[in-house]
Amino acid sequence: MATVTLGGKDVEIDEDGFIQDPNEWNEDVALDLAKTEGVEEMGEDHWKLVHYLRDYYLKFGIAPMIRKLCKENGFSLKYVYEMFPSGPAKGACKVAGLPKPTGCV
Amino acid sequence: MKPQETRPKDICLDCRQLVELDVGDITKLPPPYDDWVDEPIAEVPDEKRERFEASLDGVIGNVIPVPGTEEEKQALVEKFLVGIDKLFSKEDNWTFLQPFLLSIENCVKCNTCADACPIFEASGRVEIYRPLFRADVLRRIANRKRSKLGALTGRLTGADIPVTWETVARLADLAYRCTLCRRCAQDCPMGIDNGLIAREIRKLFSQELGIHPEELHGAGTMKQLHVGSSTGMNPMALADILEFAEEDIEERTGLNIKIPVDKAGADILIMHNAGEFLSWPENLQAFAIMFELAGLSWTIASDLVGYDSVNYGLFYDDIQYSRVTLKHAEVARKLGVKKVVMGECGHAHKAFMATGDRMWLGESNIPRESCLTLMEDLVCNEKIMVDPSRNDFPVTLHDPCNITRSMGIVMPQRKVLKKIAPQFREMTPHGVHNYCCGGGSGFAIMQSNNFPDWRMRIAGRKKFAQIISAFDDCIGPETNKYVCAPCSNCKGQIRDLLTYYEAWDRCRILYGGLVELVVNAMVDVKEGFLEWDFH
Repeated sequence: MATVTLGGKDVEIDEDGFIQDPNEWNEDVALDLAKTEGVEEMGEDHWKLVHYLRDYYLKFGIAPMIRKLCKENGFSLKYVYEMFPSGPAKGACKVAGLPKPTGCV
Repeated sequence: MKPQETRPKDICLDCRQLVELDVGDITKLPPPYDDWVDEPIAEVPDEKRERFEASLDGVIGNVIPVPGTEEEKQALVEKFLVGIDKLFSKEDNWTFLQPFLLSIENCVKCNTCADACPIFEASGRVEIYRPLFRADVLRRIANRKRSKLGALTGRLTGADIPVTWETVARLADLAYRCTLCRRCAQDCPMGIDNGLIAREIRKLFSQELGIHPEELHGAGTMKQLHVGSSTGMNPMALADILEFAEEDIEERTGLNIKIPVDKAGADILIMHNAGEFLSWPENLQAFAIMFELAGLSWTIASDLVGYDSVNYGLFYDDIQYSRVTLKHAEVARKLGVKKVVMGECGHAHKAFMATGDRMWLGESNIPRESCLTLMEDLVCNEKIMVDPSRNDFPVTLHDPCNITRSMGIVMPQRKVLKKIAPQFREMTPHGVHNYCCGGGSGFAIMQSNNFPDWRMRIAGRKKFAQIISAFDDCIGPETNKYVCAPCSNCKGQIRDLLTYYEAWDRCRILYGGLVELVVNAMVDVKEGFLEWDFH
């Protein structure tokens, strides 16, 4: 566990850079997290996906299944990888302030 | 020290890192990967080394905090020694004492196990990965403790390893350089089970020192017991996922299928690995389609823990194992089902059946069956009708170690494939002689630090070589190919392997379970259930 500065405030992250407390998340934090994931610029679709992930997480306590997030946002998986090169689980979820995925996923 | 020269007694050496791995030593791959070059395994930065042990091989798998003081180190060493005594006592080790003792006492050091081990071979014969190395460290420490004459005769009797913090920390990590695939036990002329020894070392560390990978414990069994699933999927999320699955089935197949939940007295309670709900929904959808069209009486359970068949306790801790399996048994008993069917999850097969036989007692002694034998009945006895021409592409089969080698379930999946996949071809070797995917015993979910680097390059090397060899007549990207892996954990590892080696783009190799192929061939299902889209 380490503390780093994200979006101008001190935030705890785990060994792989996922923030530990989803309440610490805001769009400024997301912008800095995006830089760690090789995302040059957060466009409209990036935000759409990030907000979708965060809303789902706050409601259900997990990330949505990838098939569902693609379908409900009208994105192909390929496009998700284009937006977030390290993929939906590691990249997009990290930027959305979700904890690291656990279990056999 | 050169990785090929380390000896068990060196494990106590007071040095920064016992072994420096060189990716140039890793075995080469067959064409078209004969020119494949691996990036080095990421270095552990010094600031991290101050916090976590990386003194074995510079890989952090079992995350072990560095004790702050000499007193703390000594206290952990003492706990370790108490743990050794417990491993050898029937009061404290009622689960595996007999095979453990037989394995400790009867090894003749013939090293047949070394040639059976995919990690030792793929690494370029790095000595610390030799199955006998790990077992011998434990054996020598135990001999020293158990010998009436103690350390005095230690050197003569092969009991000469001082138990320092270095020894203890490295052994704790070394227990996580073995996937517990037990290929060594399959080949051993004496029946020695070095996989079990590795597993019992893990148990000692978990139960006595509180040292275990977070993915298996905190985010694994503990999360499962509290939230319902190691994935974090609570019953509300489950309901959302099932609703989506029903819509998705209708869209894919035109079939209007309702997934039965908590149907008391059903013939079959199917328990899936929660990974199917989140990462491979086509698998749970395919089971629903096959069961409904076959007219079976079935259900899934929505009770806490009842909808996630995983039991990571199997890999590292008897107490956690027992807590989870008793919960599974209680869910099945409460629903009053006639039998529990294990979905495509290897370690759940073992946890529910082979190991579970000692826990599912009395009222909880409910019959348990593999989905593979059930599928054999449905397909081979023509309870569902299939058109194999729909699966007319090259298919090979990965044998999950826990299903095939541990349980002896070898032919049912092959009989099914022979009915539904005209271009089915075996890997070499296969069946009980298969190679582990490299993600066994929890490795596939250990995604932190530089462990995935090690897992892709070394643990999974043999399996990836087997996969491309099985398709050597059609390896180019113009032919779609399918690796059938009826196990969630293996699927996760094979997905990561195909990604690391870029095998979807370079060779068009997809992976998935068995039931998806069955449903893809079912004449009562619209064509095209299987989607050729890597995920």
